[in-house]
Amino acid sequence: MEGMNILDQKFDVAIVGAGPAGLSAAYYLAKKGFKTAVLERGREVGSKSIYGGRIYAAPLKEIYPNFNSIPVHRWVKRERISIMPDYESMISIDYQGKEAISFTAYLTEVVKWMGIQAESAGATIITDVPVTNFYKENNKVSGVVSGEDVLRSDVVIDAEGVNRLVLEASGIVKPLKPELVALGVKEVLKGESKQIEDAFGLSQNEGLAWVFLGAATANTPGGAFLYTNRDSVSLGVVVLLDKAIANVKDHVSQLVESLRTAPALKNYLQNLRISEYSAHLIPEDVWSLRPERLVYDGLLITGDAAGLLLNAGYTYRGVDFAAYSGYLAGKAIEQAHAKGDYSAGSLSSYESMLEESIVIKELKRFRKVHEVMKNGLLFEKYPKIMSGVMKRMFENSDGPSKAWDAINESCKENQYSMLKLLIDGYRMVRSL
Amino acid sequence: MGLEIILLFKYVPNTTTVNVDPNTGTLIREGVPSVVNPHDLVAAEFALRLKEKYGGRIRAMIMAPPSATKGIEYLVGMGVDEGILLTDRAYGGADTLATSYVISQAIKKVVDHYDLIVAGQETLDSSTAHIGAQVSSWLGIPYVYYVTEAELQDGHMILTRQLETYVEKYRVKLPALISVLMHTLQPRDVTLKNKMKAVTQKPVKVYTNNELQLNTLCTGLKGSPTIVAKTEFIGKIPRKMQVIQGKTPEEMVSWLISKLKEEKVI
Amino acid sequence: MSAPERKLRLTDIINVNIWDVDSKPHIVVNYDKCKNCPTKACVRLCPTGCYTETENGILFSYEGCVECGTCRVVCPMEAITWTFPKSGKGIFYRFS
Ligand SMILES: Cc1cc2nc3c(=O)[nH]c(=O)nc-3n(C[C@H](O)[C@H](O)[C@H](O)COP(=O)(O)OP(=O)(O)OC[C@H]3O[C@@H](n4cnc5c(N)ncnc54)[C@H](O)[C@@H]3O)c2cc1C
Ligand SMILES: Cc1cc2nc3c(=O)[nH]c(=O)nc-3n(C[C@H](O)[C@H](O)[C@H](O)COP(=O)(O)OP(=O)(O)OC[C@H]3O[C@@H](n4cnc5c(N)ncnc54)[C@H](O)[C@@H]3O)c2cc1C
Ligand code: SF4
Repeated sequence: MEGMNILDQKFDVAIVGAGPAGLSAAYYLAKKGFKTAVLERGREVGSKSIYGGRIYAAPLKEIYPNFNSIPVHRWVKRERISIMPDYESMISIDYQGKEAISFTAYLTEVVKWMGIQAESAGATIITDVPVTNFYKENNKVSGVVSGEDVLRSDVVIDAEGVNRLVLEASGIVKPLKPELVALGVKEVLKGESKQIEDAFGLSQNEGLAWVFLGAATANTPGGAFLYTNRDSVSLGVVVLLDKAIANVKDHVSQLVESLRTAPALKNYLQNLRISEYSAHLIPEDVWSLRPERLVYDGLLITGDAAGLLLNAGYTYRGVDFAAYSGYLAGKAIEQAHAKGDYSAGSLSSYESMLEESIVIKELKRFRKVHEVMKNGLLFEKYPKIMSGVMKRMFENSDGPSKAWDAINESCKENQYSMLKLLIDGYRMVRSL
Repeated sequence: MGLEIILLFKYVPNTTTVNVDPNTGTLIREGVPSVVNPHDLVAAEFALRLKEKYGGRIRAMIMAPPSATKGIEYLVGMGVDEGILLTDRAYGGADTLATSYVISQAIKKVVDHYDLIVAGQETLDSSTAHIGAQVSSWLGIPYVYYVTEAELQDGHMILTRQLETYVEKYRVKLPALISVLMHTLQPRDVTLKNKMKAVTQKPVKVYTNNELQLNTLCTGLKGSPTIVAKTEFIGKIPRKMQVIQGKTPEEMVSWLISKLKEEKVI
Repeated sequence: MSAPERKLRLTDIINVNIWDVDSKPHIVVNYDKCKNCPTKACVRLCPTGCYTETENGILFSYEGCVECGTCRVVCPMEAITWTFPKSGKGIFYRFS
């Protein structure tokens, strides 16, 4: 290419982005002896990382033999889902498990840890440099471009996350549309670990994952979340962007502010101070967001960039799925290398391994949840009906009404048929 | 031949954005990452342009704990050739006198030849602007500060020095030390090629007092006559946000001036 | 039910963050295109309030940007030229 500086040094694999996907791929490949470079636009590994707050452990245990040293804050032993008809009241479902399968952590720390694993295995991580495009030779991706510099490699892994500037620049995907993504806005509120334990009734190392629906998102499809970390709380709101354009009348930061100051949460969040304010996009309609293929000649696409994120309605699984997809991309490269062939055909074992893995299986299982989420009822009608039911049951000065009557009356008040409600309920249960 | 340049820099906590607890108005220092002192990035850019024009080599020197290696990597990422890290427990807790002593002695001991030392105007975290002056006096070489331009002419340097209302020109013998006026230039970006070199080749020489053999009575805390009697946090001044009114730039300016007068700022 | 009253201003909240602010903007807005914008969604949805609506139109300042990409996606006018900051500049997260 003209005006380009081609670096003398060539790598076996170049990876775009040091997130969970890119670093897990790097770790696997470096361990297998591949000369691996990861290019990260941030100042340090993890400095651009932000998510909600909890990570499912199993896939990471499979990838990282020394998973035990991962910087866990608390193991999630309690789950709570609350419907907030307004900021003063909520209806909650509590679940207390025996075995914890997920943990809370700062993604900044987890990603930094993954960076250390990858580097110890022999990977080279280059920070401070954004990749601007892929480098192609004979139509095959053969490296990456940053500004005027070209780093050549036999194969490239794209792990750039949801803002896919490189995939866009190379023409593989179109720019994102509001209906494909959600916006998450979050505050981290700090205190002492004892304070967190007392406020939430947790024992040491025990964590709570709490989801809010209804008023917390201005009745916009999405959800709000609260995760307890060691000595802090992650509090945030997620809204589907296309719906938010119409629904969010005030400023979007007001949603988190309202949640933090909500009377219903007052007892939990006293005397905590804000220590970070962050925001990021989340793949939402993951099937439409997914690139046509996840492998091209010399290229594999992983993590959020590939739309490999699960939105289960009450929880996101992005970090472990991204990491797992990176790991499988590593395996696919190992196999392709043995054949001496990095064409799309040879790399397509990545797609088939994904298909059989927990990632695609779970994504398919939850496919319908997205439909339920999108119809908006869950966020607007239901909280109102539920709150009407509860008010009738618990705030009736003539004494409590029967649940069935209360539901019936509340449905009428909200102009919704009980039959429809039942059908919705059935559909939702089926989709879960 | 070209110019042999020593670039002095400091790796400082990034306080360009001051972190204040919105509730209590107190400063938050937790987990604040360090950056190359922004004014030293300007000095680096200045040195890089000299190198582009006259050839030669730039070595970035710092007295600091080993974590400053990251700062060297950043500068090499911009195009600086090598780094020299002066680090020893005996150098910790230094004031400007002890710092400039170590730097100047190291230059004497481990730098075989240099033409020019380039420093920033001052640092973000202490801003004494002492180091340049002190290093030059230890070394007995000319010192010009607030420099905005430099040109080589028959073995001398013609320096432009920018003062508030006028400009001075100097002709100095080399070797000399200059400190570059802040905001004079826009520092260039890190490139993939240079950062790759920084990370894979690690062109950093580390010297401890084993190599430098300085009298530790003159370094670190022991060599520092400065005593900080007290530091006081100046309370939070509540901010008022107002959007400038007016249709034309002229209207906006007069609106702004009237507001500033109202607030007795001017 | 109206939302609880705002206790903290957004500008004060984002002050807890760390940025290494670049001296050149990574996002450029073509204000001419903003004039006919039907939604001005950036003003409400940019989480750090980088877009302000004034009587003279939209005003953008890049310093507080957290690089989320929202403005780029919601802008119906294609008025925004959006890139990431270079040289590791921009937001530096520590606890997210
Ligand atoms: C608000 C919110 C809440 C979430 N909650 C959860 C949760 O509780 N649990 C969970 O498991 N998941 C959650 N997720 C999803 C999870 O964060 C993502 O799925 C996961 O981080 C994806 O990993 P990745 O490696 O694909 O991408 P990312 O984590 O986005 O990493 C991409 C990396 O690439 C870098 N990069 C991007 N472009 C370039 C470029 N051009 N050149 C160089 N580097 C580049 C970025 O700086 C970044 O470091 C949440 C997400 C959000 C936004
Ligand atoms: C009163 C006072 C007391 C202090 N007490 C202590 C203390 O007890 N413990 C402690 O750790 N620090 C202390 N310091 C800080 C320390 O002395 C200074 O940071 C250091 O000597 C550099 O001074 P400066 O930051 O003001 O740099 P300036 O003189 O403002 O810097 C000018 C230029 O010199 C160069 N430069 C500065 N520092 C270095 C360096 N370390 N290596 C290479 N080049 C450099 C850079 O080019 C910089 O732009 C104190 C500072 C002051 C003012
Ligand atoms: S990228 Fe996000 S934070 Fe930055 S200006 Fe756009 S909306 Fe605001």
